[in-house]
Amino acid sequence: MKETNMTNAKISARAVQVYYGDNHAIKDVNVDIEDKTVTAFIGPSGCGKSTFLRTINRMNDTIDICRVEGDILIDGEDIYDAKVDPVQLRAKVGMVFQKPNPFPKSIYDNVAYGPKIHGLARNKAELDQIVESSLRKAALWNEAKDRLNAPGTGLSGGQQQRLCIARAIATSPEVLLMDEPCSALDPIATAQVEELIDELRQSFSVVIVTHSMQQAARVSQKTAFFHLGNLVEFGETDKIFTNPEDPRTESYISGRIG
Amino acid sequence: MPILTLLIALAVIAVVGFVLGRRRALASASGDSRKLHSLPSYYGYNAALTGLVPALLVLAVWSVAQPMVLENRAQSLITQEVADDGAMNLIMADVRRLADGLSTAVAQGALAPGEAATLTTDSTDVRAILADVGVALGSDVGPDTLQAAQAYRAGALSGALWKSALVLLIAIAGTAFALMKTNAAFRARNTVERGVMAVLIAAASIAILTTIGIVLSLIFNTVEFFKMYPAADFFFGTVWQPSFSGRGGASELGLLPLLWGTLYISFVALLVAVPIGLFAAIYLSEYAGPRVRAFAKPLLEVLAGIPTIVYGLFALLIVGPMLKDVFGADGALGVAWMTGDRAVITAGLVMGIMLIPFVSSLSDDIINAVPQAMRDGSLGLGATPSETIRQVVLPAALPGIVGAILLAASRAIGETMIVVLGAGAAGRLDLNPFEAMTTVTAKIVSQLTGDSDFSSPEALVAFALGMSLFVITLGLNVFALYIVRKYREQYE
Repeated sequence: MKETNMTNAKISARAVQVYYGDNHAIKDVNVDIEDKTVTAFIGPSGCGKSTFLRTINRMNDTIDICRVEGDILIDGEDIYDAKVDPVQLRAKVGMVFQKPNPFPKSIYDNVAYGPKIHGLARNKAELDQIVESSLRKAALWNEAKDRLNAPGTGLSGGQQQRLCIARAIATSPEVLLMDEPCSALDPIATAQVEELIDELRQSFSVVIVTHSMQQAARVSQKTAFFHLGNLVEFGETDKIFTNPEDPRTESYISGRIG
Repeated sequence: MPILTLLIALAVIAVVGFVLGRRRALASASGDSRKLHSLPSYYGYNAALTGLVPALLVLAVWSVAQPMVLENRAQSLITQEVADDGAMNLIMADVRRLADGLSTAVAQGALAPGEAATLTTDSTDVRAILADVGVALGSDVGPDTLQAAQAYRAGALSGALWKSALVLLIAIAGTAFALMKTNAAFRARNTVERGVMAVLIAAASIAILTTIGIVLSLIFNTVEFFKMYPAADFFFGTVWQPSFSGRGGASELGLLPLLWGTLYISFVALLVAVPIGLFAAIYLSEYAGPRVRAFAKPLLEVLAGIPTIVYGLFALLIVGPMLKDVFGADGALGVAWMTGDRAVITAGLVMGIMLIPFVSSLSDDIINAVPQAMRDGSLGLGATPSETIRQVVLPAALPGIVGAILLAASRAIGETMIVVLGAGAAGRLDLNPFEAMTTVTAKIVSQLTGDSDFSSPEALVAFALGMSLFVITLGLNVFALYIVRKYREQYE
């Protein structure tokens, strides 16, 4: 069973432990995340779901006191291996953050930022092409095409978050990590981003951390429930929400804990 | 009554007012502080402040106004021909000195109180009496000077008496008025709040009024200077050669050589300070671990605590000779560019070192203020830390950094001691950074130190120089604000 999972899985985590100083934040997590699916991480605040998400593109490296043990494999390659360059890894594993964080640059430069630093475009025309297709995939092209030189910070909250998604997919990553991407958005913008996530599933493996169980149920195919640093249950979203195995999962989704 | 006794009396009245106010408020609520509108101490503060504040205000105004009034009155008693304001000032200084001398003589028993007010130059040798009690007068005392001094002294005595009486009366009346109003329903809390606000407003206005006063004094003296010296020659003159009246000959007071020296030295200083300070700030805020930061940042800021005169000594004794060893006639490079220890480059280098903590500390704060989300966004796209800094953090921090640099430039332009010791005293228009030059500030010092006659253009030029410098730094600050605003609008 484990072996077959290893072959299908885009990301495989084995016995992952994360420590912040003396605090044991993630305890022995094993999980297989499939390609071209949306996987939702749910759980109460402080349960470690965001921490685990950030281990997948080694964003935790930027925190001095953070220490990661165990193996995380993407396409069978250990990303914590000494010969892996975290900078290259992050181009392959894109990330969208909780609060929209467009750079203080124009909309065009925001999207072109990743392709430029990785040298993905040979000329201006190619770069234009990448920017346009990224903005189209992020469902922002129609709103932004006439104001590509306007500052990205001038957009509305929902547009800013879609700009950040466009920015992340412009480097053509294979995995897209989303850390509560809708928590700073209103319901309409949330609906747009959720629709977008569903479309992105065609090309990427998407991992999304969310506090909204409805959102997890709406957008994801697989759901993982974290509690106090443990991965309590992982499986088909329908099954987790209708017939959970673990009593803690049941308590959480029915609103008794968390 | 001496001013100290008066202040103590006011303090006593305030304390008594506080105690009575508090007690009266409690009594009106029959001892139950819950029935009061405000906490009991607010009633106390209200009573104390209502007496104290107006009394202190009157005291301050009176203390400022009294000498002016008395001086005017004494001036009208001087009958002799007076050449100009300067001569009048000298006579009035004599009058004040004489009045003080008379008081000293009375205090030491050399003169009876009545005698001091009535004695005349015909019957008494005032100079001898005062010399006995230790007050030396430069010349014999003229009859009208003595009269003026007696009038001045009499006015000061009665003025002080009236002042004490009025101030005490106001304090007591104010306190009594507040006590009268004190009862359980009185909103003492709000009243005290308004009083606190008034104190804060007063503090703010003192700062603003002082600035206005400084600018006005500069303007008046500058106008005076331009009456004696043509403005066009000052602003466009390329020679700085003041000649003090004793030595004869006309002065040439051209601003340009000094302005050039100021800007040149500041430019060299910024050339040193901006890259080093900025790079230090980037290292400290983006790369250094908390432990390095904890000792490196205070260490860097120690530089800011060194008095500028010490930097001046450093320039004169160490940097200057060292540079001369390299660029001088027998120097390591074999070029004879530098003839003396003092040069633009000496002062500029040392001033740059002085400005490093300025630039680095401000930039460090500004870079730290860039949200972590920006860095995460860039790192999450696979950018290296240095790409992140160059393309995201620095552009976001740019308006603040430009502000920090312009602030450093203001400091460089206003710096004096390093220039006096490091750059020399010759006003010169030259491009060679190894030549001695001087700046506006250094010349202001040299024009006003020593025996200066405040009615000559050579001394008054200092005010014109100060005014020019003020306008330049003001312009720089306005420009800095403009830049900061412009970028802020664009990014937020």
